[in-house]
Amino acid sequence: MQPEEAQISDVDLLKAIVRQDETALAELYDRYRVILFSLLVRILHSREEAEDVLQEVFLQVWRRAPDFDENRGRPFTWLVTLARSRGIDRLRSLAARERVALAGAREPGEEVSDAVADAFRSEQRGLVTTALDQLPDEQKRALMLAYFDGLTQSEIAEKLGAPLGTVKTRMRTGLIKLRELLGGQNASFGF
Amino acid sequence: MTHQDYKEMISAYALSALDAPDDSALSTHLNECAECRRELDEWKETCAPVALDAKPLEPSPQLRERILSQVRDDRSSIAKSNVVPLARKQKNVWSSLGTLGAIAASLLFLALLVNVVLLWREKQAVQSELETLRAEVSKTKKDLDEQTRIIQMFAKPGTRFAELTAMPIAPAATAKLAYDATGHAMIMTSGLPVPPAGKAYQLWFIVGGKPMPGKTFSTDSHGKAMMEDQIPAVAMNSAVFAITLEPKDGVPAPTGNMYLRS
Repeated sequence: MQPEEAQISDVDLLKAIVRQDETALAELYDRYRVILFSLLVRILHSREEAEDVLQEVFLQVWRRAPDFDENRGRPFTWLVTLARSRGIDRLRSLAARERVALAGAREPGEEVSDAVADAFRSEQRGLVTTALDQLPDEQKRALMLAYFDGLTQSEIAEKLGAPLGTVKTRMRTGLIKLRELLGGQNASFGF
Repeated sequence: MTHQDYKEMISAYALSALDAPDDSALSTHLNECAECRRELDEWKETCAPVALDAKPLEPSPQLRERILSQVRDDRSSIAKSNVVPLARKQKNVWSSLGTLGAIAASLLFLALLVNVVLLWREKQAVQSELETLRAEVSKTKKDLDEQTRIIQMFAKPGTRFAELTAMPIAPAATAKLAYDATGHAMIMTSGLPVPPAGKAYQLWFIVGGKPMPGKTFSTDSHGKAMMEDQIPAVAMNSAVFAITLEPKDGVPAPTGNMYLRS
């Protein structure tokens, strides 16, 4: 879970990208393609849409690398936030009919090989899954609907048939709990 | 809303889950509150690992090359335009404004072009009208000169007149000839057919049965004409005047039909 000693850090890669180093971008892509692509497929339920958005994300990384501030967070967080934001934007821009169709298709895509799964840091994934499983179902459900389906609090309330205030409380309580559960592990995410 | 209210909204904001009014209000507050911005960064750190809950999937191998190819294109276009990559959003805005400006300039140019064409056409019409008026003035002046000369001829002491009679070929034709003591003659016709192409009427002075050629002339669409000539001295007292249709440059001896004679 710790960076390999010989490996260039994500922060250094981003600094190299600021200097227009194309190989640094290629290396960053190789490190994060599975994490970000998986996230985007989960949000968009479409490999094609996910690849399209992932392309946009890395182009944005190329152009906006100078925006990254290591004092404000890790590259992992910056990249995931960027990809998720783009993915949610794309999801919200799709017509409701298309969303239903996409959700109905639930195209899983190709799963990664074992080797890639290792690279995906299955151990970290296990930590997250374990932490999420420790949340009460109603809290986890509300968080998942926000995180992967891009729903707002009132949309979640409507979908779950719960009062808006209750949803707000569930989300906030769930995130606080998640922070506690992942708190000691957070430094492990990212290279 | 109080600072505490905003703080409680930050975790949902990190998930982009706030409804529009709350989202907008908190965005404004974040611009002013460093403490809340720090808290937002912390919540983003908490939320990011949730991405790992997604089932691991591999994108197509071609995507890597597509991205790198696009980046190379982007770099070369930036180098060409000498624009810093960070200015991407701004570049788009200016690019859009530039496009709008180009469209506006094109429309303005088109409007000016239309205006120029209209003005040019108007100028052409005015010029054409002016030419017509000039021609009319010129013709009027010429007519007036002719009338003046006729009046002067008629008023001149010693002026003699001869009336020509129509031949059967042009029964409606008439002509009068006036000439002074010097032999300066003026002939005025009406009712003559318009001569065909290549033809003209020619005046003849016939003395002792022998025709002496005068000048040629044409008529207007009404068969009218006025022509001045000089009567040969030998023809001053006993000449017969005649008009025939001849080749337009005239001939030394008559060849065509006679239309009028005195």
